[in-house]
Amino acid sequence: MSTKLLRLLALLFTFTLLAAACGGSDDSSDGASGSGSADAGECGEGSISASGSSTVEPITTRAAELYEDVCGDIQITVDGPGTGDGFALFCTGETDISDASRQIKDSEAEECAANGIEYTELLVAFDGIAVLTNPNNSAVDCLSFVDLYALLGGESDGFDTWAAGSDLGAGLGSDVAPYPDAELFISAPGTESGTYDSFIEIVLEGVAEESQGEEAPAGFIRTDFAGNAADNVIIEGIAGNDTSLGWVGFAFAVENTDIVKTLAITEEPGGACVEPTIETIADSSYPVSRGLYIYVNNDKLTSNSALAPFVEFYLGDAYTEAVTEAFGPDAGYVPLPDDLKAETDAAFAGAAG
Amino acid sequence: MTLISPMVDKDKTAERVRARIESGGRDPKDIGFRWLMLATLLFSLLVLAVLVVDVVGDSWSVLSSRLGDFLANPLRSRSDEAGVFTGLRGTFWIGIFVICLSFPIGIGAAIYLEEYATDSWFTRLVDVNIRNLAGVPSVVYGILGFTIFVGLLDGPFGEDGAFGKTTVAGGLTLAVLSLPVVIITSAEAIRAVPQSLREAGYGVGATKWEVVRNHVLPYAAPGILTGTLLSLARALGEAAPLILVGAIRGRLGSNAGFFELGQLREQFTAMPILITEYATKPGDDWVPVTAAAIVILLLVVLGFNAVAVLLRNRFEAKREGK
Amino acid sequence: MAAPVMPADPDLLAGNPKRRQKESIVKTVFAGAATTSLVISILIVGSLLWKAQSFVGDLISPPADALAETRDGMISLSNLWTEQWAPRFMQFDIKTLLVASVIVTVVAMAVAGPVGLGAAVYLSEYASPRVRRILKPILEVLAGIPSVVLGFFALRWIGPNIVQNLFDSAGNQSLLAAGLGVGLLTIPLVASISEDAMRSVPNALREASAGLGARKFTTSTRVVLPAAVSGLVAAFIVATSRAIGETMVVFLAAGGSGNSAQFTVNPLERGATMTAAMASQASGTDGTIVETAFNSLFFVGAVLFVITLTLNVIADRFVRRVRQQY
Repeated sequence: MSTKLLRLLALLFTFTLLAAACGGSDDSSDGASGSGSADAGECGEGSISASGSSTVEPITTRAAELYEDVCGDIQITVDGPGTGDGFALFCTGETDISDASRQIKDSEAEECAANGIEYTELLVAFDGIAVLTNPNNSAVDCLSFVDLYALLGGESDGFDTWAAGSDLGAGLGSDVAPYPDAELFISAPGTESGTYDSFIEIVLEGVAEESQGEEAPAGFIRTDFAGNAADNVIIEGIAGNDTSLGWVGFAFAVENTDIVKTLAITEEPGGACVEPTIETIADSSYPVSRGLYIYVNNDKLTSNSALAPFVEFYLGDAYTEAVTEAFGPDAGYVPLPDDLKAETDAAFAGAAG
Repeated sequence: MTLISPMVDKDKTAERVRARIESGGRDPKDIGFRWLMLATLLFSLLVLAVLVVDVVGDSWSVLSSRLGDFLANPLRSRSDEAGVFTGLRGTFWIGIFVICLSFPIGIGAAIYLEEYATDSWFTRLVDVNIRNLAGVPSVVYGILGFTIFVGLLDGPFGEDGAFGKTTVAGGLTLAVLSLPVVIITSAEAIRAVPQSLREAGYGVGATKWEVVRNHVLPYAAPGILTGTLLSLARALGEAAPLILVGAIRGRLGSNAGFFELGQLREQFTAMPILITEYATKPGDDWVPVTAAAIVILLLVVLGFNAVAVLLRNRFEAKREGK
Repeated sequence: MAAPVMPADPDLLAGNPKRRQKESIVKTVFAGAATTSLVISILIVGSLLWKAQSFVGDLISPPADALAETRDGMISLSNLWTEQWAPRFMQFDIKTLLVASVIVTVVAMAVAGPVGLGAAVYLSEYASPRVRRILKPILEVLAGIPSVVLGFFALRWIGPNIVQNLFDSAGNQSLLAAGLGVGLLTIPLVASISEDAMRSVPNALREASAGLGARKFTTSTRVVLPAAVSGLVAAFIVATSRAIGETMVVFLAAGGSGNSAQFTVNPLERGATMTAAMASQASGTDGTIVETAFNSLFFVGAVLFVITLTLNVIADRFVRRVRQQY
């Protein structure tokens, strides 16, 4: 008797599940979507899309998160496919903001111009890359771009000791070579990381052209090590091997100076060695640093009423936290010195009218 | 099969049997083996226990201090602000797709195979095909979703934004993924219906559909419900296909409400994806967040599982008791 | 005296045209539902082959943007056999992924095989119905745990507490840790198929064995297990196929998420399996990705599909043998 009842209930349940899930959704739609009308005055209306460099993405993301408390109804999508991909979207008018870890290239600017897109370039922060080794490695304190190329560049595939790169380094004019005869253990970011690309662009690209000519192949980093996506794993790798070599974003290196050693860097062999610090990165004297930018579409500043208030917030109330705490309470990028920040603010004020 | 070798000495056999009976089954080797087998089983259960204790322990600092926040907040870049709202919302809608598409289609296919199909090349083909589909790795279903729902359909039907990397694409992909299991388990449940029940129906002049609707389905309902719930639970826990379909791991712009239909055309994320994202974030402060998200997913998935298993056991017991 | 048996014409019994029309509509709808599964198979094979062949085509006649990413300006089919998996540099060494998949699968089966089999023997041969009714559902709950959860568990618990404790040289991510995680995931699968196989062995065999004075141990190992061997083989193959296709545990715990991996045969090292390589390839990359590199995902998917399909077809043979026997 009760079996039959249960069976009936089960059948009933299956079908109510079907009916409730599939049939009942039409009526609920208008009730829920009517929540989008807050104070449209200060926040404007509409949604904002930002794309571009995954290095800048954390800053823009944090600014967008902080903005939720101010203007919660504005939808802000932030994506980080890479600077190049970001500009491809930006120059066809698909995004409002493009995050960039370098200035726009001429070819990209032409693309924008061809589509009638006018933009404003805003420098927002500096990013340094720290080159690391183990604190027990006293043989090395300062390396030049040439040395880094000899040890980590595309021609170093297979070098399993520091010394193996000596000839290559000396041939390119290194004053540090020959390098110590010790195991070369590399712990560095994987190819999907923005820091990986930056290291190529800033450090290796120039030396590669010098060494192999204009047609130096892409991917200037040796490929015979397993890169890691997680910065803490990279740090652990450096700390776990006495003669390691690698690099991470500056923010992650300063947190861990007790277990890893940051190397001073000089661009040219024999030049002044500079340690990475907030000051040396901000004044660009540390050579492995770069500016981080956002590009704002000028037309959208007027046509999308949500955009200007957000950028204003980005450069204003959110600025310090978004930049200096981009990755968390104690990890971020280097903010602009006052004079450069004033220039950025002025540039935005000019564009926003 | 030869069970008794010709060399067996009848007296010896009798002696052995007598010894066995007199020992009351207490043979050291036998007992040892028994415990070894039990130990392997308990090992699996121990793992389950360690996992649950570990995860719940890790999650406690989040669940006890800010459960409300945690359920209401989306993915955030700060561990003390991060929540699961967008993930739960995505998982809910994916569940709707599975229920609305793969349940009716799967049960329909099972009815066809068990009740209507004759033994033809077509039936055999469908049968073999379904069993092979059930063994296809989930990540391969992701490729199907990426190519068809994100890519191909985005062109002709993408005008209104339904396809592309949207909730629709994610839901369809997981509906497709769970279909074979729904068909197989439903077919098993239908096969278990006694033939006499059908014959009684035909005997009073009912058509096939009438027999299926009034007799076969009610009898098979618990079995079908069990199978479908299990496949729903499996679908809700899948991450790999969604990664391929482009579920968002970073900031999801959408702040649509939980039940808002408009989000179906927007980018999406889901609980397993959020967990993947939280699990790969650097820093120990993300561990409690990840664990808390896992506890919530486990509550949903194991909840469905437990209901399904209990339901089946209940009916098995009833049926055997008859 | 008995009434004459009516000629059983089903057409007559089925009743009026309206009912029969409805009947044929219902049948068509259900047949359509059954056909969906064929469509899905065609779509799967189609979507794999479409881009996979475009990938192989690119290797044979490489496009300029792909060539620009290489060291030596050359791409050929031999790029499928180098020393590493690094799609960004057009290094598509398939053996790096295959060997990693094999390592993970072997470790997984070394755990799931014996444990799953033992659990099945206990449940089928020893457990009283009451104990069975309690233990089996718990095992089924283990089967319901999402793989991403076991991935996190493998990363946070198995890696540091087991692998790194046993082997000093291991990192917190390793193929071994991932393999153990996948093993836990497949235990319930091995257990449930094996148990089905053993329970389908007729009781007469057990009784005959007991009647000869065999211990339960002897009955289990010499009579029941050999009689169920087809099903046990099937369980093992199905679980192997599942282990090869498992993605999230490996993605999280094997450390191959950086979208590049070195060839290794050492289970203590990090590595990328076929599935993890696919997931990393799909989960966002910085820098503009060349289409040839992205399409390698489909090629790997096709290889994975062929492997798992082969295993499933073989397993199916064995399962059918069990059905025929008893």
